[in-house]
Amino acid sequence: MASLITCPHCGTRPKEEFTIRGDAAPRRPGSADRDEAWYAYVYIRDNPKGRILEYWHHAGGCRRWLVVDRDNLTHEVFGVVDAADFQRTEAAE
Amino acid sequence: MTLHFLHRHVLEDHLAGFETRPNPNHVNVARRPVILSVLAHSGHEAAVAERLAELAGGSVRFCGPGEWLVAGPALLGEELADRLGEIPGASVCDQSDGKVLMAIGGPSARKILAKCVAADLHGDVFAEGQSANMLCCHVASNLARTGADLFEIIVPRSFAGSVFEELMEMGREYALTASFSED
Ligand SMILES: [Zn+2]
Repeated sequence: MASLITCPHCGTRPKEEFTIRGDAAPRRPGSADRDEAWYAYVYIRDNPKGRILEYWHHAGGCRRWLVVDRDNLTHEVFGVVDAADFQRTEAAE
Repeated sequence: MTLHFLHRHVLEDHLAGFETRPNPNHVNVARRPVILSVLAHSGHEAAVAERLAELAGGSVRFCGPGEWLVAGPALLGEELADRLGEIPGASVCDQSDGKVLMAIGGPSARKILAKCVAADLHGDVFAEGQSANMLCCHVASNLARTGADLFEIIVPRSFAGSVFEELMEMGREYALTASFSED
């Protein structure tokens, strides 16, 4: 099975060019937030089966952080955006 | 005591003495290329890209958003750096000693590269003049298409030996030859 990720900057590339950091859903708490919020942000992760948003680093290409929207069961990729643009759309919500 | 500093190419031991007459499929290793990296400051990406598009003398390679490599002949060295230095909102850094440039050309160039990179090099996807960073023989490199059957690979100096050997291995069935080019 080939995992192909279409980088918005480089085009379609194999997963070997990327490093996966993990879940992109947790939001960083403010510096004055309670310890519980920080604990949850740093340590607590869901382990969903199915659709997941993840940070992928295109280490072998543009060296940008991307957010990959994919299904970890079927390996279907729904969308890839640059992490900078992802933050912006998140902020606009 | 006098010291003599000689310029010695990193692929000298892989290449010198092995040169034959070039076959149709051939790798040209640039002996003294000038390679500069250009980074656009935040917010200046589009303006710098515009200036680079009209740059004379150097060949601009896309690396990522706001980042390029500019390759040119050794003769242009200082001049090219000066020209790039004039672009507002850009930082320029000389990478000539840190990078190795190899040009692979010939009717089977794409077939050979198909075994080295995992990107689609069909003309409809990777057209002439296009360039991108990609893994080439497991090394993060920059690949550019400079002609229908002509590609240029820029790799970090310390990985050049490994990439060169693998490239030649992959090209063996196509009688790939290699030599230094003097420009
Ligand atoms: Zn990329």
